[in-house]
Amino acid sequence: MVEFIPLLMFLVVCLVLMAGYPVALSLSGTALLFALVGFATGTFDMAFLHALPNRLFGTIKNTTLIAVPLFVFMGVMLEKSRLAEDLLESMADLLKGFRSGLGLSVVLVGTLLAASTGIVGATVVTMGLMSLPTMLKRGYSSSQATGIICATGTLGQIIPPSIALVLLGDILSSAYQQAQLSMGVFTPKVVSIGDLFVGAIIPGLILVMLYCLYVILFVRPEAPAEGDDERRVQGLSRAMLNLLPPIFLIVAVLGSILSGAATPTEAAGVGAFGSTLLALFKRQLSLGRLREVAQSTTEVTSMVFLILIGAAVFSLVFRGFGGEELVEQFLTGLPGGLVGATILVMLVIFLLGFVLDFIEITFVVVPIVGPVLLAMGLDPVWLGIMIAINLQTSFLTPPFGFALFYLRGVAPASVETADMYRGVIPFIVIQLFLMLMLSVWPALATWLPGLIYN
Amino acid sequence: MKIVSLTISTIDRITDMTGRMVSWLTLVMVLVTMVTVVLRYYFESGSIALQESITYLHGLVFMLGIAFTLQRGGHVRVDIFYRGFSPSGKALVDLIGGLLFLLPVSLLIFFFSWDYVAASWAIGETSEERSGIAAIYLLKTLLLLMPATLLLQGVAEILKNALVLMGKPVNTPLQVEPHPIEPRI
Repeated sequence: MVEFIPLLMFLVVCLVLMAGYPVALSLSGTALLFALVGFATGTFDMAFLHALPNRLFGTIKNTTLIAVPLFVFMGVMLEKSRLAEDLLESMADLLKGFRSGLGLSVVLVGTLLAASTGIVGATVVTMGLMSLPTMLKRGYSSSQATGIICATGTLGQIIPPSIALVLLGDILSSAYQQAQLSMGVFTPKVVSIGDLFVGAIIPGLILVMLYCLYVILFVRPEAPAEGDDERRVQGLSRAMLNLLPPIFLIVAVLGSILSGAATPTEAAGVGAFGSTLLALFKRQLSLGRLREVAQSTTEVTSMVFLILIGAAVFSLVFRGFGGEELVEQFLTGLPGGLVGATILVMLVIFLLGFVLDFIEITFVVVPIVGPVLLAMGLDPVWLGIMIAINLQTSFLTPPFGFALFYLRGVAPASVETADMYRGVIPFIVIQLFLMLMLSVWPALATWLPGLIYN
Repeated sequence: MKIVSLTISTIDRITDMTGRMVSWLTLVMVLVTMVTVVLRYYFESGSIALQESITYLHGLVFMLGIAFTLQRGGHVRVDIFYRGFSPSGKALVDLIGGLLFLLPVSLLIFFFSWDYVAASWAIGETSEERSGIAAIYLLKTLLLLMPATLLLQGVAEILKNALVLMGKPVNTPLQVEPHPIEPRI
């Protein structure tokens, strides 16, 4: 009976989370209560918790994680300097001739925004506020319009430089070390955040291409795209002026990481500085706005790190109850071996994605299942990309997908929730198709990192 | 009653002031990172102390920002049901969570870190790098400051929620605007 306490703990945490108290504290608090009961009944050794300060200090000292506040700073700065609005206007003007021009420009701008800010909630809400009314006015059905916005908004998970990939890369790299040590490899290979960024490029581009293809082939606005627009069309040069700076910023950040010239942390710092300059040149920077950006950055960063701290408490208790062995025995004993274990883990992560955020899943679930799967022979980059796409799909899937909630919050009442559910279905199919492609051809994720880093 | 509201507003002020101050350090982090990059790639020089200072800034921001984020409701929740609760329903969840989770977890981190931090102070622990910042013990002290500030703000939140449930919500001088959207990543 005692050996199933970790399982019970996991189920209780899931239930407790539903009440809505902050995730980080619910996680660690529930674990602590279990530890105390275990201590009182002699089934838990408090010595496991003595590793806590060292672990927490490891988080403070971890230089890779410094990329988090810097990327957040960059994203918040770009978001607050009205970059998105200008981008969308310019892109729509450039694609005016196309029949599905507006839809296509929403996908492309969403991709740029996702890449530069990497914050899903912000991207969906911004796009929803800016482009949904226009799309509806131009004759897009509400299901098509909302589907496009939700799907594009979640691209921030996967398109590098993404904060989600930074966190995932950090966790996977230690999971990979642990897996190799357990196999007796004492000169372990490493996997870095750079590897994940590079690995995400091809799958990310395929995803965007498939989205565009879908919009071109299947999305037909009822009203003609031209003629009814009262806004004066900007010149091509003006449009370019709006488009180039953010593109340049993304390319500079990504390029410096990929070429090995800068660490992700340094690149994030340069990106944050660049976004501040960009806001300054656009005359969008004031002391008040700078304070807003700094405070938002502090809040988001503290939120992320408190989850990391809460997850550390949870995982120590989980380990103290023998949870890691339990998971390992279970996963290695599954029929179907590695394939069976991978499918099961992906399914669990997909379902958890309905209630938990990328951060919680990365910090709680990946450290537990990651070492086992990697020791069974999975490629760490492939695993990281699959988890990222899987979660992105989960965030899109009705009725619990986060993206849907965000858009619902800003969509006009005339848009039925059922329309939104219908609208995202094609995109979910595209996502599943990409995961299938990645399973059949893992090289889509692993080829480019191998090429660049070897 | 007066004591309670005075306690709440005092704690709120302390947390708010701390949070606002460490917030500016994010900007300093950006600038210092930029400087180290420029030094390294254009002047081929660098200072280990300068690089380590980013770690110190980062630690200060997220460890001392945690209480500030609690005050502003920035810690992410699973709000599928919570969102639909009445104000007193929300207050009840937050009250129970505060007593059952926040207080014990803060105390756990504080007391389990005590010896670890004290040992570092006792030897005046310095950086592993020779030219690094010779104050690891100060950095480690964050392991005590974080739970202490979180506990303090936690007490204020518990009192606020208790007052809401008693039908006497307080008007703190610092009315923070609720988030338009949660800053999910």
